[in-house]
Amino acid sequence: MTDAHVPRTAAVNSVVGPIPADQLGVVAVHESLLSVVPGAEYAFDIDLDRVTIFDTLAAKLREFKAAGGGTIVDTTGMFHGRDLRLLESLARVTGVNIVASTGMGPEENLGGYFLTPQTNPPTPWPAEKFADLFTQEITEGMVIPRLERRNPAGLIVVEADRAGITPTEVSLVQGAARASVGTGVALSIRWGADAVGDVTYAVNEGLSADRIVVGGCDRVDAVNAGVAAELAGQGCYVAIDHVGSTGPAYIDDAARVALVVDLIAQGFANRILLSSNAIGVAAGLEAVEVPFGFVVGTFASMLRDAGVSETDVRQILADNPRDVLTVRSEKKA
Amino acid sequence: MARVNTVLGPVPAETLGIVAFHEHIGYGMPGSELDSKWWKTPEQKYEETVPKLRRFHELGGGTFVDATGICNGRDVDYYKSLSAKTGVHIVACTGFVGGDTALTHFAKASVEYLADQFIHEITVGIGRSGAQAGIIKVGVSRGGRMTELDKRIYRAAARAAKLTGVPVMTHLAIDAEPAVEIFHDEGLPLDRVVFGHVDDGVNADKTNDVWIAEQGGRIGFDTFGYETELPDPPFWARPRQERLDHFLRFIGGPGRLEMVLASADANCSPLGWPGVKGHTVNYIFDDLIPDLRKAGVDEATITTIFVDNPANFLTLHV
Repeated sequence: MTDAHVPRTAAVNSVVGPIPADQLGVVAVHESLLSVVPGAEYAFDIDLDRVTIFDTLAAKLREFKAAGGGTIVDTTGMFHGRDLRLLESLARVTGVNIVASTGMGPEENLGGYFLTPQTNPPTPWPAEKFADLFTQEITEGMVIPRLERRNPAGLIVVEADRAGITPTEVSLVQGAARASVGTGVALSIRWGADAVGDVTYAVNEGLSADRIVVGGCDRVDAVNAGVAAELAGQGCYVAIDHVGSTGPAYIDDAARVALVVDLIAQGFANRILLSSNAIGVAAGLEAVEVPFGFVVGTFASMLRDAGVSETDVRQILADNPRDVLTVRSEKKA
Repeated sequence: MARVNTVLGPVPAETLGIVAFHEHIGYGMPGSELDSKWWKTPEQKYEETVPKLRRFHELGGGTFVDATGICNGRDVDYYKSLSAKTGVHIVACTGFVGGDTALTHFAKASVEYLADQFIHEITVGIGRSGAQAGIIKVGVSRGGRMTELDKRIYRAAARAAKLTGVPVMTHLAIDAEPAVEIFHDEGLPLDRVVFGHVDDGVNADKTNDVWIAEQGGRIGFDTFGYETELPDPPFWARPRQERLDHFLRFIGGPGRLEMVLASADANCSPLGWPGVKGHTVNYIFDDLIPDLRKAGVDEATITTIFVDNPANFLTLHV
């Protein structure tokens, strides 16, 4: 573990600028505020009414704060509805810290610019170019397309195809990992069919496991394969991040509690993250209507009822995500 | 009444004048907007664009058809301002340059949904701009064969064209058999479709323009000016004389002249690529029409190619 490397004055990149890491409070680390499927912004039947969107999200963030939440991480990446001016305004009016992310994926959500460039032949982007694109979102600021750059991104997110990572997604993960190594901003991987394999692409780029968040550790296939314990054992942060959702692809909340208890028993309390992958406002896809405060409210009570100590609850809801989001000022040797 | 949809509202087809039927105010692949290496200030964009359109107007150009698809940086409010300030009619398109430029939301959509999108943009308007699309863009993805998504888009375009009366323009005319079959299937007469890019350096040899014309399709020679003689030609460039000979040979065939359209496919101010320096829509006036005259093409024929044919084609058939 390299927690000692985190400087005391360390900062987290929020949408309104850097904030001290010790001011995050409880963090919802894998959520979406406004989530727009690429292209849906041009759809004739989708009305992205800015007033409605703002009011809806502000109400949900206030509810999150009232439940005990302090910081929310928008993991839509740079091409799935990210609206920086909206997020900045929401942070200011609600008092909730908002961290926005760079990154992209899965491949089907990438634009033709990355997949079929105007070259002959149209070779998809290599890792190096993705690395540059994401690095710039941190060193120069996140883009409002064709307009301006704003504050630096606080997390890099990538996602692979559920049917199995594609060659372009391998480049995407490798590029994102290089950007993470170079900038000190952590990497979140939503894996395809093979969590360990997908994470290995990032590790092989020299990225320390403790800078990697692995999403979807409460997928049924993840639980069956023992993904969380294996990757926590390697030093990754494992995100049980569909709390409050049920469905054939995910275990239910009772099983999530059991998974958390089991991981703590194995000594991984400092590797667990909890979140809901809720979507505040969705366009072109179904909203996930779990309240942003569900983890810190309902689910935390379930953990306590199952015997999880207050110290561990605090570790999981506040300390672990703080360590993830704190920008590493020195590259690991 | 012969009407054509422009970004500033419908106009009589008789007032289009000389038409550049396949052009771009600015084109970029979807996602290029994220890469700040291509960004331009509004000052720069207007500075690169307005003089070209003003010159087009001064040289006798009347109408500029923008072939930039839904996800390629199409910006109709911008086109409206350009049209109002330069006096050039601008026709905007609905549709996609090819399946590989349709973003996820559309790539996963049904034929019915895509048709509804096109119909809405033609009859109600594009986004909140109020501007109605005047043509539907479709195309063949990179790789040379029509993909399943390409075919879905062609079918949706055929339905929307049949219902609304606007024509269809294609990016590439390779692998034309499935396209022709789809248009037949949907009952869209082929003279409502211009099969484009029959003349580019990469695809000319693989494009059966004569066969398409025999089926009744219109033929677009629309990459004039992308020449291997340029200092830094793009990969689709072709020797100037070879393209001109191809064009002259084509229009020399029986009944072909009425079926042909010509354009330069230039970007006024490219959005997600460097563009080709020096190549503008005004190639039509500076080079192409003089080349045609030099080759003995008479004024009546030039008028047929650049005025009458596009007016017939762009007129809403309702």
